[in-house]
Amino acid sequence: MGIVIHRITESQARQLISDYTYTIDDGSVSNWPTYFTDPCLYRITTRQNHEMVMPLSIMLCDNQAMLYDRVEAIEKANIFEPHYYRHVLSESKVVDKTDTTIHMETSFICVRTMLDGRVTLFATGRYSDQIVLEEGRCLFRSRVVILDSSKIDTLIAIPI
Amino acid sequence: MKKPQPALLVTWPEEGVRRIPFEVYSDPEVFKYEQEAIFRGPIWHFLGLEVQIPDPGCYVLAQVGETPVIVVRGDDGEVGAMVNRCSHKGTPLAFVPSGKVSRFMCIYHNWCFDLKGKMTAAAFERGVRGKGGMASTFNKQENGLQRLRVHTLHGLIFGTFSDETPSFADYVGADLIANIARVCGRKLRLLGQYSQAIPSNWKLYIENVKDPYHASILHAFNGVMKQDRLTMEGGIVMGSKGWSHISFSKMDFETGGEVYEEAEMRSAELNIYGFGLRDKSMTAVWDDFGDSVSMTIQTIFPNFVLQQLRNCLAVRTIVPIGTHESELRWIAFGFEDDDEAKTNGRLKQANMMGPAGLIAMEDGMIGGLVQRGIAGSLDKAAVVEMGGHGIEPIPGSRVSEGSVRGFWTGYRALMGL
Repeated sequence: MGIVIHRITESQARQLISDYTYTIDDGSVSNWPTYFTDPCLYRITTRQNHEMVMPLSIMLCDNQAMLYDRVEAIEKANIFEPHYYRHVLSESKVVDKTDTTIHMETSFICVRTMLDGRVTLFATGRYSDQIVLEEGRCLFRSRVVILDSSKIDTLIAIPI
Repeated sequence: MKKPQPALLVTWPEEGVRRIPFEVYSDPEVFKYEQEAIFRGPIWHFLGLEVQIPDPGCYVLAQVGETPVIVVRGDDGEVGAMVNRCSHKGTPLAFVPSGKVSRFMCIYHNWCFDLKGKMTAAAFERGVRGKGGMASTFNKQENGLQRLRVHTLHGLIFGTFSDETPSFADYVGADLIANIARVCGRKLRLLGQYSQAIPSNWKLYIENVKDPYHASILHAFNGVMKQDRLTMEGGIVMGSKGWSHISFSKMDFETGGEVYEEAEMRSAELNIYGFGLRDKSMTAVWDDFGDSVSMTIQTIFPNFVLQQLRNCLAVRTIVPIGTHESELRWIAFGFEDDDEAKTNGRLKQANMMGPAGLIAMEDGMIGGLVQRGIAGSLDKAAVVEMGGHGIEPIPGSRVSEGSVRGFWTGYRALMGL
């Protein structure tokens, strides 16, 4: 039996980005960790910190346990007014590609809706993703969210 | 030129600082007078960190109340601060948040100022081909930038507009000076910054910082992490006249707070929140200052916070924007001699702070909720009686609003209320 090489395809990567977006916007935050490898990197930073090469993150998880801790904190410990996100994404740009990894960048805007009807343009920025194939599944090895603005409206409870 | 206080802004309840009239959060006249009586008055206001402006010509922008300020290191290495307003028409001289310059030149008419704020030139000062030019009455020496008095301490930069502001040491008191030395005594390393739009009056945020009563209640995560339960050993230290404060708690770094926590949780099968942290990297902490004090929150009146949450170090400033809006600015730091493991530890623990802070998240919104709740009730007042009526700390206890009453003591003194 020969060795089967599974090459990661761009369409798989685009599907991952799309599925992630709907999972967050549908409010299924408990499924959020399933989109990442272990270990992994998920961080939210700002354009200012990114350009000044400052390592501070607004949110930082580097393994599955940290992702699940964040989910449990959101669901059981942290208190915030309930709200929904609606992400709108640009076409993704392939920055780099090997047989096993695709580096993609995608612009987004994220609108936040509160239960009382307040609708706010909450965040804009770009995703910088390292996407890999693991056991036949496409996953984020790294997803860095770079917010255009350094000023966050009130709080970020739900991952972007 | 000191303007008199506007007639009867607010009638303070006769109970004193154990009542806070809701009007002070919402009245535009109060907001306006605060700018003069507090922010341009006899206070020391945080302006930035020296590490942000390492070399001559490096500047960073700050905001003292409404007033935009440039904080700059001069050619002589001294830190100075001046109002970011050209003396000609009032244009800001710098609008990029930080940078390095050899002088400040106004984009509007090229008026130039050196790093000390002294005016050096104006375009067409002597006219064009001998015709025109500035009036004979014009004197560059009289048109320098408005400067603030500056005090630096362990890398923190403070400034004041008033000649009447006491010395920094008298203003905050010896215990607070000692804690600044403790937390900022080594060479700082900047880790990054961000800010939050806070949908409330600035005083609701700073009151919340000064209120240890809420810490383990509103922030359920605190209880989960044993970060700041009120049953932990700790206390409150008051600064000069009770205006500023430190709230602190200790933990047993030897046994590791989380080891103890794990043991307790196993025995309880489930803690009240039904979960514990799966990942231990955030609770892998070390005793940064060798005194077992794991948490210090220090305020300096009116709007500055120095934070040590285990190994997560930061400064915060709450900038007033309007009666119902403020901006909370965070700068996180470590130390230049931190190794990679310590830097990474601080960066992971930074999950506790900021807009997505596992602990700090609720602080961003609670003031806005309060302000929604008090709308229509501005003739009423908050009841602030935990720990008594006074501002004296209760030894060994943090279940007190004494430091909140301390803030209002300072506020009333400056506002004449």
